[in-house]
Amino acid sequence: MEKYIKPFVDASVGVFSSMVGLSVTVGRPYLCEINSPHEWDISGVIGLTGQARGAVVLSMKKDLALSITTALTEKAQQEINEDVVDAVGELINIIAGNAKKGLESDFKLVISLPTIVEGPKHRIAWPLEQTRIICIPFTTGDGNEFWLSVALESQQGA
Amino acid sequence: MESKNILVVDDSRIMRNIVKNTFATLNIPCTFFEAPNGKEALSMLEQHPIDLVLLDWNMPELSGIDFLKRVRAMPQYRDLPIVMVTSEAARYNVIEALKHGATDYIVKPVNERVFYEKLSKIIQLQP
Repeated sequence: MEKYIKPFVDASVGVFSSMVGLSVTVGRPYLCEINSPHEWDISGVIGLTGQARGAVVLSMKKDLALSITTALTEKAQQEINEDVVDAVGELINIIAGNAKKGLESDFKLVISLPTIVEGPKHRIAWPLEQTRIICIPFTTGDGNEFWLSVALESQQGA
Repeated sequence: MESKNILVVDDSRIMRNIVKNTFATLNIPCTFFEAPNGKEALSMLEQHPIDLVLLDWNMPELSGIDFLKRVRAMPQYRDLPIVMVTSEAARYNVIEALKHGATDYIVKPVNERVFYEKLSKIIQLQP
């Protein structure tokens, strides 16, 4: 599973840098539980199907979501609204779509439309109970943190 | 140069604005039309004389690739420039879109240089 993480890391670094203008540093990925406690306020979820099955989730605090949306809309954002939902959805969509390139020699994948989950301690329902979820911590240049969580299980030969 | 009608099809309003702003840097006089999915884009095509479609892939109602297949099946749109502007970066996606008649393919995040290289030629070649 771990070898499939790099395309998602590379895509996240590239998207945050070129689209939002934020440099990010990548922490050490680790295994997390399906219902690991967290402090995030909003998550964007993309389902993955095709020759592998799973999901990729981008989670962050409200302040970072507002700051990203402000950068993308060039309009100050005060609260989570439809622009913020749109921005987080588009970010995870581009991360997942870009990561497919790094995975193309392993799997042919189809990505779903993004779904947004918000609220304190919101819960993500992962599609695969048996699959390990890898959490990748990121920190932006201005000290904000976010997570990318990836679960991917090959369907080839299944 | 005569003003061009550009149809931007993307389910993200933010991305439609980014695409429009990036296209505007080409300094080509144009009017933008917008649609949040392929279904509404089909009605836009019927209502307006569109010169170029900038088309996302993953959208509700009717996806970009299904829109492309439908439009290319209509003889009046056989030569209409349709450029995919999508997060789908895998080679098999690019090949599928080109096979179904996409004029060119741009991977998001969009940048001005790529827009200029790919779109200025398409626009200038138009009568």
